[in-house]
Amino acid sequence: MSAILQEKETTLYLGPQHPGITGNMMIELKVTGDTIRKATTHVGYLHRGFEKLMEERLWMQCFPIVCRICVPEPDPNEENLARAIEELEGREVPERAKYIRVMMLELSRMATYLLWMGGQSGSAGLYTMPQWTVGDRDYIIDLFEELTGGRVYHMYIWPGGVRRDLPEGFEGRVRKVLDYLEQRLTDYDRLLFENAIFLRRAQGVGILDKDMAMEWGVVGPPLRGCGIAHDVRKDEPYEVYDQLDWEVITHEGSDVYSRAMVRRKEFEQSISIVRQVLDKMPSGPVHNPGPNPLKWRVPAGEAYVKTESARGEFGYYVVSDGSLKPRRVHVRGPAYVHGVSLLERMLVGANIADTSFIMNSLGTCPPEIER
Amino acid sequence: MKNIKGALVPFSALKYLGKKPHTVRYPFEKKKTAERYRGFHFNEIEVCIGCGTCSTICQNEAIDMIKIEGVEPGRGDSGLRPRIDNGRCCWCGLCVDMCPTGSLSLTDQYLHTSPDPDSYLLIPGVDNPEMKENISFTKSDTEPLLQFDRVPMRELDGAERVKSFAEVVLGYMQEEARAEATRCVDCGLCVTACPDHMHIPEYIGAIAEADDAKALKYIYDNNPLPEMCGKVCTRQCETVCAIGHLGEPIAIRWLKRYATEQFPDPAAILNPKIAEPNGKKVGIVGGGPAGLSAGYYLALRGFDVNIYEALPRMGGMTFAGIPKYRFPLDSLDKQIDYMKKVGVKMHNNVRVGKDITFDKIRNDNDAVFIGIGFHVPYTLGLTGEDLENSIQAIDFLRRVNIGETVDVGKKVVVIGGGNVAIDAARVSRRLGAEVTILYRRRVEDMPADWEEIEGAEDEGVHIVPQGIPLEIIGENGKVKSIKYGMAEMVPDDKGGRPRPKLIEGDEHILEVDTVIGAIGQEADYSFLPKEIMDELKIERGRVVVNELKQTSIPDIFAGGDNVNRTMDAISAIADGVRAVEGISHYLLDE
Amino acid sequence: MSDTLQKEEQIKASINAAFRSAKVSIQRKGRIIVEFRGGILPAFASYLKEYLNFKHLSMISGVDWPEDNQFELVYHLWSYEQSIHVMVKVRLDREAAKTKTLTPLWEHAETYEREIHEMLGVEFEGHPNMRDFILEDWDDLPPMRRDFMTREYVDEVYEWRKGREDAQDVRQTIAEQYNTEVPNFNNEDK
Repeated sequence: MSAILQEKETTLYLGPQHPGITGNMMIELKVTGDTIRKATTHVGYLHRGFEKLMEERLWMQCFPIVCRICVPEPDPNEENLARAIEELEGREVPERAKYIRVMMLELSRMATYLLWMGGQSGSAGLYTMPQWTVGDRDYIIDLFEELTGGRVYHMYIWPGGVRRDLPEGFEGRVRKVLDYLEQRLTDYDRLLFENAIFLRRAQGVGILDKDMAMEWGVVGPPLRGCGIAHDVRKDEPYEVYDQLDWEVITHEGSDVYSRAMVRRKEFEQSISIVRQVLDKMPSGPVHNPGPNPLKWRVPAGEAYVKTESARGEFGYYVVSDGSLKPRRVHVRGPAYVHGVSLLERMLVGANIADTSFIMNSLGTCPPEIER
Repeated sequence: MKNIKGALVPFSALKYLGKKPHTVRYPFEKKKTAERYRGFHFNEIEVCIGCGTCSTICQNEAIDMIKIEGVEPGRGDSGLRPRIDNGRCCWCGLCVDMCPTGSLSLTDQYLHTSPDPDSYLLIPGVDNPEMKENISFTKSDTEPLLQFDRVPMRELDGAERVKSFAEVVLGYMQEEARAEATRCVDCGLCVTACPDHMHIPEYIGAIAEADDAKALKYIYDNNPLPEMCGKVCTRQCETVCAIGHLGEPIAIRWLKRYATEQFPDPAAILNPKIAEPNGKKVGIVGGGPAGLSAGYYLALRGFDVNIYEALPRMGGMTFAGIPKYRFPLDSLDKQIDYMKKVGVKMHNNVRVGKDITFDKIRNDNDAVFIGIGFHVPYTLGLTGEDLENSIQAIDFLRRVNIGETVDVGKKVVVIGGGNVAIDAARVSRRLGAEVTILYRRRVEDMPADWEEIEGAEDEGVHIVPQGIPLEIIGENGKVKSIKYGMAEMVPDDKGGRPRPKLIEGDEHILEVDTVIGAIGQEADYSFLPKEIMDELKIERGRVVVNELKQTSIPDIFAGGDNVNRTMDAISAIADGVRAVEGISHYLLDE
Repeated sequence: MSDTLQKEEQIKASINAAFRSAKVSIQRKGRIIVEFRGGILPAFASYLKEYLNFKHLSMISGVDWPEDNQFELVYHLWSYEQSIHVMVKVRLDREAAKTKTLTPLWEHAETYEREIHEMLGVEFEGHPNMRDFILEDWDDLPPMRRDFMTREYVDEVYEWRKGREDAQDVRQTIAEQYNTEVPNFNNEDK
């Protein structure tokens, strides 16, 4: 490349439609040669005003909305809103429902990781992996369909428990899918995680400074990929996570590869968690009913609840003024931090071709940034 | 080394050549959806009651309630049915979980593509009857969203009750009332069954919102005797309550009672606006619910109203017929006092036809309202009926209510199965007698409220169903015993309900001190002059009226038991309220 | 119960000792609410971050309280060491909502402040990059204000689909079937 080209700064617009992320978002890149000098994110293509809409809806009517905040991973949203309301109301959740919720959340984590594996390798130009993982994700989606009636948006976790009990023989079918996915991991390792191309692309790329990560509000796999062991499930255990046997997974390296390995191991761990849940799940009711949804007033107060989603801390700040509708539901999606301010910083100095690759490793999700 | 391994890894994929693919193959096989799949809606049109709860809960506003051909509105059915805009629906299924009847469900069908936006409007059950075979997501019995269990009403214990005439039902406490009111889905189907079409969802809503004063305003808008209704109404509304289809209906009666009991003086809350006197006078014969209701709203509209009542207190049958453990005197007085405040003039102990002539009332007033009720009992038609201590329930209850001492002895038999019979039995228990009810048919055929029947049984009343009285046997001119025969139920040839048929030889004799007949009443029109009787159209003992309760004589209006067939307090109130419209229309040409 | 709230009590005591204008309450285990009424929020936030180890800024929420004529900003901070979440609440005058930016303490506060500026209309003094966030070229009332009427906005901006005009209100239909009118006592003076 000639010296003249290298010095001339060019503006590139990446997006709003582009591979590597679930949703629409544009990045304005100032580049010289193929090195990024400055990155500016532009969001607003997916703003649906959910937080405002919820202020004009009955509490129950918020549930079909929140699951749409994050398309690939709706369940932590349902979990958060349900748990926030339960905290405000002081409503007990039956033990069995808690186990089912953990099962849902872990299955959802696995489904998200599968989609992520596809995206991560796809953005590196490895196109067999997405075909495999998206196909395998369908086995989990089939389980969701059988359990909840919906494939993507489940409307399943709701205040007081879950919406329906497990169907006959469901446990066996979950185990079958787990066994299959566990055995598939070897294939994934060969195809992606041990693939020389992937290693070359991922190692040493997208470095996230370890000290900065804490200050910047980085959560989830990107944080654990810096070797920092923080996970909401351990820091502030909800449902029955404190009764299950598992450890926070970390990986040193702070690069795309270490984030990938965290997810890869957590995928394996989720299989173990779901199996434990199935082993330990008690019998009993799955729903502690509340008042008639049309006249349901949640006591005045506020609650901040959080759930460890596949991308990290998913937080809900819910304020009730004691009326039929929420006063405020504020959603903290992990991508809000990862995908805007952090991304802008991390892209500086990176290669253009690594943009999607890095975005993917951070779990950028525009529908969750804009809500 | 590592790099060589990495370079070889892709070749391991060769093993997949021999494996069966996961992808769908040609010829295309449509994948079977899961058993709970949430696809297009289906609605059981015959089961649906058009309550609109699905439409209310839909956060997408995807559901319209519309009139469709072949579905007629009626008692407990709005005549409307849901239509889904599948362009807006998000298939959350809240409508299914909220459906009070369980008629709405989701199917496993989900494919529809069309450039025509109208094709996305679906009237489930009408446009897609074939999808009945595809129902998949249905309402759950074990994880309900609606509350199907009523907040229980506290009552005096049966053994305690028979010791006095203290009120049996204790009424809801504030928290209980709020909880009960919260169960309501605000559909308004109850209004279709209420003879007076009270604003039921509105006042229940106000109670749920903790605004009892607002509830009272809604209640008094078309019922001036709500505390009485709150205690003794026949509550047709509860029989059609949407929640009652799969659960216990909302306790509409008890909620009304709760709202009215919160305020010792309704006037302080209602602040009734009384119109300037309009110079017109209305005379009302009979101070029962019909006459009082007409009087109250006429007075509010500026009419000069005089009510003439033969008994020492207002209230008609609600005073004379209903025992005090159901409707205490102070509650009646409270409501009558409020009406007096509004300006209704009341004259007790004035029997029209004896103390004042009907003609005089008619001449002194611009219009007359007749609400005399049914106070003359039917006779049993049995040998021995004339014996001393063979009495009529209506007379018996009136004497007790007025405060006379009535001696029924130790053993009482009540003949009949209506509310009056049960009242007479329960009052007799309170007077210290052992009571047996003889009823021709089965217990489930009794026209009395089931709560009343249960209450009587709790208090130790013995019910002999399928028992037909044959003869009252006397000794020294007094009742000594009663002979009755047992009956079997035989199907009715005309297709009606089963009839009792005496079983030959299965006869019993019961020693008794008093026999009380309670098989029905009729009106006494003897106070009307002959010319009026000739002109006034009366059919089967009831005065014939039009929509606005006007009789065949234009300035005479009528209402209550002597007009309607339902013969309960709320129908009488409804008659009174309608007559106000009629009288205003007639006198003011409104 | 009190022994399990030991850490929370300690933090409460520390804050009370250092800042008189902070009203601290313990909501439950792991949740502390601080109503901060003083003017110097950055100093207080810096104290929490540096001295009490609340390193992680989870988010900043803005809540509109038109009945008090105030906006409430809620800063959600988390201490990984102590597993405690503190919500620092600051009330701002709704007519002239202005506060100091916290970007010097947490750079990612930038996005949250941008959004609150856009959605509620709060000014953040010293914010380095207050450009449009989600709503480009928005000139209406900031939409997360309670007096922004979503329904009116939708009616004005978007077109409702045709063909649904025959929808009926169940309650109204029933009232009409019986020639009754449902009065409205909702807005009457009590």
